[in-house]
Amino acid sequence: MTDPSDRLKELQEAGLRAISAAASESDLLDAKGKYFGKKGAVSEILKTVAYLPAEEKKRIGGAANEARGALEAAFNARLDEIRERERLAREGSGLLDVTLPGRSASVGHRHPVSRTLSDIVSVFQRLGFSVRLGPEIEKDYYNFEALNIPKDHPARDMQDTFYMDWPEMDLVLRTHTSPIQIRTMEGMRPPVRVIAPGAVYRCDSDVTHSPMFHQVEGFAVDRSVTMADLKGLLTEFCGMMFGPGLPLRFRPSFFPFTEPSAEVDIRCVICRGAGCRVCKDSGWLEILGCGMIDPSVFGFVGYDPEEYTGFAFGMGVERIAMLRHGINDIRLFFENDIRFISQF
Amino acid sequence: MKILYSWLKEFVDTRLSAAEIGDALTMAGVEVSSCRFLGEGFDNVVTAKILAQGPHPNADKLSLCRVTDGSREYPIVCGAKNMQQGDVVALARTGAKLPNGMEIKKAKIRGEVSEGMLCSEMELRLSEESAGIMILPPETELGKPLADAIGLSDWLLEVEITPNRGDCLSVLGVAREVAAITGEKVSVPEAPIRESDLPIGDFASVAVTDADLCPRYSARVISDVTIAPSPDWMQRRLSLCGVRPINNIVDITNYIFLELGQPMHAFDLDRLGGRKIDVKRSGIPRSYVTLDGAAREILPEMLLIWDGEGPVAVAGVMGGQNTEVLPSTRRVLFESAHFAPASIRWTSRRLGLSTESSYRFERGVDPGGTMYAADRAVSLLSRFASFAVARGVFDVGGGTDFSRSVPFRPARAGRILGRECTEEECADVLRRLEFPVRDEGQGRWSVTVPPHRFDIEREIDLVEEVARITGYDKIPTTYPESGAPEFSPDDRFVKITEDASEFLRSQGFTQAINFSFVPEKEWRQYAHMLGFDPSDAMRLTNPISDDTTMMRPHLLMGLLHNLASNLRRFVEDIRLFEAGKAFGKSFTEGHFEEPRLGFVLYGRRLPENWSGGPNALDFFDAKGVAESLLSFLGASPVHFVPTVAKPFLSRGKAAEILKDGECVGWLGAVRRELAAALEIPGAVFYGEIRIGAATRSRPPEAQYRAVPKFPPVIRDIACILSEQVPVGDILSMVSVLAEEIESATVFDIFTGEKIGQGQKSVAIRVKIQPLDRTLTDADVNSIHTKIVNLLENRFGGKIRTS
Ligand SMILES: [Zn+2]
Repeated sequence: MTDPSDRLKELQEAGLRAISAAASESDLLDAKGKYFGKKGAVSEILKTVAYLPAEEKKRIGGAANEARGALEAAFNARLDEIRERERLAREGSGLLDVTLPGRSASVGHRHPVSRTLSDIVSVFQRLGFSVRLGPEIEKDYYNFEALNIPKDHPARDMQDTFYMDWPEMDLVLRTHTSPIQIRTMEGMRPPVRVIAPGAVYRCDSDVTHSPMFHQVEGFAVDRSVTMADLKGLLTEFCGMMFGPGLPLRFRPSFFPFTEPSAEVDIRCVICRGAGCRVCKDSGWLEILGCGMIDPSVFGFVGYDPEEYTGFAFGMGVERIAMLRHGINDIRLFFENDIRFISQF
Repeated sequence: MKILYSWLKEFVDTRLSAAEIGDALTMAGVEVSSCRFLGEGFDNVVTAKILAQGPHPNADKLSLCRVTDGSREYPIVCGAKNMQQGDVVALARTGAKLPNGMEIKKAKIRGEVSEGMLCSEMELRLSEESAGIMILPPETELGKPLADAIGLSDWLLEVEITPNRGDCLSVLGVAREVAAITGEKVSVPEAPIRESDLPIGDFASVAVTDADLCPRYSARVISDVTIAPSPDWMQRRLSLCGVRPINNIVDITNYIFLELGQPMHAFDLDRLGGRKIDVKRSGIPRSYVTLDGAAREILPEMLLIWDGEGPVAVAGVMGGQNTEVLPSTRRVLFESAHFAPASIRWTSRRLGLSTESSYRFERGVDPGGTMYAADRAVSLLSRFASFAVARGVFDVGGGTDFSRSVPFRPARAGRILGRECTEEECADVLRRLEFPVRDEGQGRWSVTVPPHRFDIEREIDLVEEVARITGYDKIPTTYPESGAPEFSPDDRFVKITEDASEFLRSQGFTQAINFSFVPEKEWRQYAHMLGFDPSDAMRLTNPISDDTTMMRPHLLMGLLHNLASNLRRFVEDIRLFEAGKAFGKSFTEGHFEEPRLGFVLYGRRLPENWSGGPNALDFFDAKGVAESLLSFLGASPVHFVPTVAKPFLSRGKAAEILKDGECVGWLGAVRRELAAALEIPGAVFYGEIRIGAATRSRPPEAQYRAVPKFPPVIRDIACILSEQVPVGDILSMVSVLAEEIESATVFDIFTGEKIGQGQKSVAIRVKIQPLDRTLTDADVNSIHTKIVNLLENRFGGKIRTS
């Protein structure tokens, strides 16, 4: 008679072969029944162990348990394989092509002028300015008179004005957002720190002029506001808007409602000062106008110019957007071609 | 304005180069936009004489010349015929690169060698056209660079003068600026005149009746003059500065005008009726023909120059044909006056006639300089023309001191500029400007401002002078003291608009910005569909074109046009929005302007997708956008009610949006005829929100309620209703039927034969959320019964039992 342990080895090998050959769950269960189920060959051997001497009992029992353990492990692994194969056969691969486009509305685009305007406003909000808005159809008084631009003064020629066809109302389309200075100061005492964005209108149309465009005006009035403060603030602004360390220069200019007045140039962002078409070879780009609020403007709103000083500045949003994005024709902004707007 | 460097040097012998002057002026507020060397492209172009000229052996249209530059002879083939032997011409030698870009090389033309080219004025960019090559005066030295020979070794500065600086509109004015910046001295040339014995009074008389509008009137009279061309140098200067040379008399007035900024007028004395001048208002409306041949409607208040018979000029604006200088003129009265700026401006604007003269008078012409200008004119003219000068002058108002004194405190300058301004520094600036100063003690000065500086009337004007002459770069950069920023209602509004824009962007909308003005013609054409009578629109007096005649009453048309034009450019599935204002007349406040948010949807709900599925947009997509937008902005709850008040929306597919009973917007399907009129083929959905009205009331602060601890119960109820019953009404009534009802939604709706004509089946899902205990069946049934009763009794529904 062969040693039961040899018999167990044979059974284990045959069992493993049967398990790996099983093509279905039922084949596999058959293999289990034959080899290590309750009535399987290995179990039969185990049943005989009780009748063996103590030492043999231990040896054969251990070998039988070992064989059964190996078969069970193989059985479980094969069962997983078969089930997974059956699931795949039933449900398909289930693998997604994750490169296919997602299902959602596509995201739109902000108009570059609106985005630039909102960037400018938020820079000044962070610098402690609060927003004031005003009407686009404006009284002549606010647009001109109270800003020290009397009728029959050459300064009126600086801005080609659209007049409303309603003579008794004396209305114009505002040519700048500066009237908000007057409206704000009429309604409050200093300190004032205001930023005033909005659409403005001038009777002018070419590659760099649009009859409607956008401006941001800012102003501050307090007991000791100086031109040095104005320089500091605008230097800060230009740094935040165009990148820090950008050289800028202040040169004298004229606006009826500020004195002294200045034009602010930044180092040409295109040629970095070497000279190019955009800066007309000067290396500088005019970016905004500013100055100390003229005492006669204070006169219109009842501020005492001996007690208070203030500054004001204004800039064209389209111009800044054109410089930021390298746009060479202002009219593109108002064609609303989605192929244009979606570039920003 | 154009300024020649050489001319400027006659008034201030500056050490600065033309380019340096350009920079210095710009940084002092007189912006020099360009500084051009006039001899540019004249390298290797020299004066030469034609030694011989003959026909080209192989070409009829060409001639063969031999020319010399004094040291060498050159064979030249030339296409022009206007020269002859002995003429001095401009020779471009090989290597020259002309202003028009032409490069001169040694060449063989039809078999003959040509070592250069004879230039025309056009090729040299000296004029717009030329009949042949340029012929120079016979005395011209040979071999000289052409630029030197014709005075083009010079620079032309293009200067932009701000409206306050009328005093800078001349060579003298700019020279004063240069002197103030550099500390150099202005030198005004002497104007020596040899007068005859005949007193001026024998020739003419001058009176000024309306001295308020003409504070000073100076004049000189000359006789026995012959009208002739001015000398070349003067013609060239005038041309370079943009003035066309005419004759010696007209040219001298223009020359003085460029040089001193004093507009002058030359009257033919023999054509002045009664040889009399008076300066007075028109008094009555009249028609008058000015030099340009146009009949002008003169108003009574306008200032005229009169002779013994009637008007001879619109003072300071334009002369008349009746007294202009003619080739036969022998005697001339030179007018050099100062007219009140506001009067000239008013007259010029009312006449719609702006001239070089009115432009300068409006900005202020030095009343202190009128007599000198007249003298300078006569003195300069005498250098190249012969005539007799009447003894004496007319100078009405000549004794007046036109200067003014302005108070100034150096400390005040420091306070405005934010840097210390010492008394020495301020005094230095005022000295350079030639403003005499008197110290009145305690830091107060009295500054005498010369009459040519119209812009300086107040202390602040002097502060500006100190700032700009010392340089803005001297002002430090400090940071303003900051108070606590307030958050204004406008800050909130700007944030709401920004949030709305970002929300819409996330929903696939692209932002448009349209002009606020629209073509009235179109609004009239479609008035019946646009729901607005253009007569109630705010209209422009002076639109820039027919497309910009009135202010838009709503935002639809702009977005529709944008939609149409993008469709033409093959863009599909378009979603656009615009945040802008609508305008119109209003019964209560004269006019209104109101911020609105318009949005338009077209095409598919989702971009074409691999997973397919039904995808055409409908009304409820637009409504969903409006609902979620308003909810995002905290403007809920709102109600949608059917409307017929918006004729641009299709009947039965249009709703108004109500919030607290107020209409805060509308939306719907755009009327087919309107879309078709703009060649939009498919269905368009449009919504417009009145942002201010929708967000006026701040949403109340949310108050905490305990989060439910008990499971909700869901009940579905289906019923058959008349198609007329608005489901929105059912939902809003059901949701308030019991405290425990958390929500009521529609999950199915259909019509069809099974339901019956005019009926619809509506399935409602009600979520019942117990507040403080688990609901019993009895509780739920009681709520269910209430709902069923409501559906049956209030809405005439028939409950379906499936
Ligand atoms: Zn550049």
